[in-house]
Amino acid sequence: MKRTLTLVAMLMAGTAAHADGELHLYNWGNYTSPDLVKKFEEKYKVKVTITDFDSNNTALAKVEAGGSGFDLVVPSAGFVKIFAEKGLIQELDLSKLPNHKNIDPAWMNVEWDPGRKWSVPWQWGSTGVSVNTKDYSGDINTSAIFMDPPPELVGKLNVVPEMGDVLALATMYEGGKICDDDPAVMKKVRDALIAAKPKWMAMDYSTVEKMTKHDYSATVDWNGSTLRQRLAVPEIHYGYPKEGYPLWMDNVVLLKDAPNAENAYLFMDYIMEPENAAMLSAFARYANGIAGSEPFMPDDMKGAPELYPPAEFKDKGHFLTVCTGKALEYQTAIWTELQK
Amino acid sequence: MARRSFSVTDLPGFSTVAMMVFAALYAPMVVLVVYSFNQGQSPATWEGFSLDWYRVAWANDEVKNATVNSLIIATCAAILSTVLATFAALGTTRRKAFKGQTFIYAMINQPLMVPEIVTAVALLIVTAAIKKFTGYAGLGYLIVAHAAFCIPFAYLPIRARLEGMDLTLETAAADLYASPWQTFRRVTLPLLAPAIFAGAMLAFVTSLDDVVITEFIKSPGQDTLPTYMLGQLRRAMKPDVNAISTALLALTLVLLSLFYLLTRKKD
Repeated sequence: MKRTLTLVAMLMAGTAAHADGELHLYNWGNYTSPDLVKKFEEKYKVKVTITDFDSNNTALAKVEAGGSGFDLVVPSAGFVKIFAEKGLIQELDLSKLPNHKNIDPAWMNVEWDPGRKWSVPWQWGSTGVSVNTKDYSGDINTSAIFMDPPPELVGKLNVVPEMGDVLALATMYEGGKICDDDPAVMKKVRDALIAAKPKWMAMDYSTVEKMTKHDYSATVDWNGSTLRQRLAVPEIHYGYPKEGYPLWMDNVVLLKDAPNAENAYLFMDYIMEPENAAMLSAFARYANGIAGSEPFMPDDMKGAPELYPPAEFKDKGHFLTVCTGKALEYQTAIWTELQK
Repeated sequence: MARRSFSVTDLPGFSTVAMMVFAALYAPMVVLVVYSFNQGQSPATWEGFSLDWYRVAWANDEVKNATVNSLIIATCAAILSTVLATFAALGTTRRKAFKGQTFIYAMINQPLMVPEIVTAVALLIVTAAIKKFTGYAGLGYLIVAHAAFCIPFAYLPIRARLEGMDLTLETAAADLYASPWQTFRRVTLPLLAPAIFAGAMLAFVTSLDDVVITEFIKSPGQDTLPTYMLGQLRRAMKPDVNAISTALLALTLVLLSLFYLLTRKKD
């Protein structure tokens, strides 16, 4: 009966392709290298479907309802814990993942999954500042670029309208921590942001376009976005604020009710092969967390300063979490005032 | 002689407001369509005409898969909902007014009133349970769900046509010894056909555009064009999304034009 239904399902889905097995990946849209998927399908004769989600919350809601049919999901850092706590994912059998040893030591003992027993790296990145050094030649590794802008940048500066990232940078600049709920600190953050705002030109998302056209001289930006700007305009550089900057990472987890767990292990192991991790990066344009993948990266990403933070700034990155309670209240209040 | 009747068009600023409303409604779509022919990477800076993004979109397997899904679901849902809506329309008009008629209308048109997210969450819970129980994860769920919310869109034009149709023709057919089935087959149905096609087209378009319900109940590999586009949001948007939107818009316009041609009065 089940087989008949599956057959009907396949006919209805219009997939005539015969495959030895299947694998259902549930991922952010436009994030999975089609070349990598083809290579994997040919090697293991497994038919891979990719289904998109648009937010961690959507993914969580669908998986939590049960019977989703997915094998692997790619949630962001903080959400791995939530998936685990709700009992939606299974602890990985590391004996089935010989490439587990390729995980970069920096990404092995992450706060949401020490020892990487529940999740393997997909892609990661950071939020910092993008500066056109034609206009400003001073130190760019600081949030002062937008919190206390040098005269050269006043009025030519953009801040992306992303509450979590901007407030994380601002709070760390004022000596606090991500999701700080100390009213004294948050008061300082608020005053500093309100004082800085008149020196900004805009709060806008289209940084790649406007930095490369030189409408802006500097902007708060994501590293992958600055990489694209630098490839177009070599004078644009990415700064890692030494006061602290936010990091994000998406991770592959195996669902407890995965119908094709064996194929899921094959896939997880496959993407931890340095050559294949580089393929993911070549498509998504972010770093991957697998040691030794750099030689396989496309030429324009090899040694890219946006992807590989210099040693002195490595420990300044902190993972962005979803703030709750008082911390969120302060953030929302500051943000609302800032947007006026 | 002074005009007696009130006309809204005489109000001061009527044409200004009307122009502003039309601009707000259509200007964004014009921009979207124009930029789908942009040569550059950006969905908002013009760099010359090209069809590149249509090629990019068409070469993308995920887009192809989503298009096929969208068309299968919309076709099946339109047929299913139109058949049901036709029965419902016949059942609620070709008889004497009955107690609870308004209630029935409200029941049939429920998808127009209930917030879509509520239906989506409810369907998520129910389909998840059915999926677990049966193991079936095909397009059937999406087809049935789409058919359900498409019913009022098919029902309304069919009912409107039935209410406007002269009952004497059917009475005459019955007088001439036509059986009820013959009357229906030879008189009612041919007269009703344009409204049925019109209803089917509205249902098709409604199904094609749906995001929320689809996002919640889709199974692996069942992205439709709108959910595929939604998935692009977090990553840098490129003009291929404009190209897909333009194609969807064009298809919708063609179907709505057909709807208009079928429903306009002949005289």
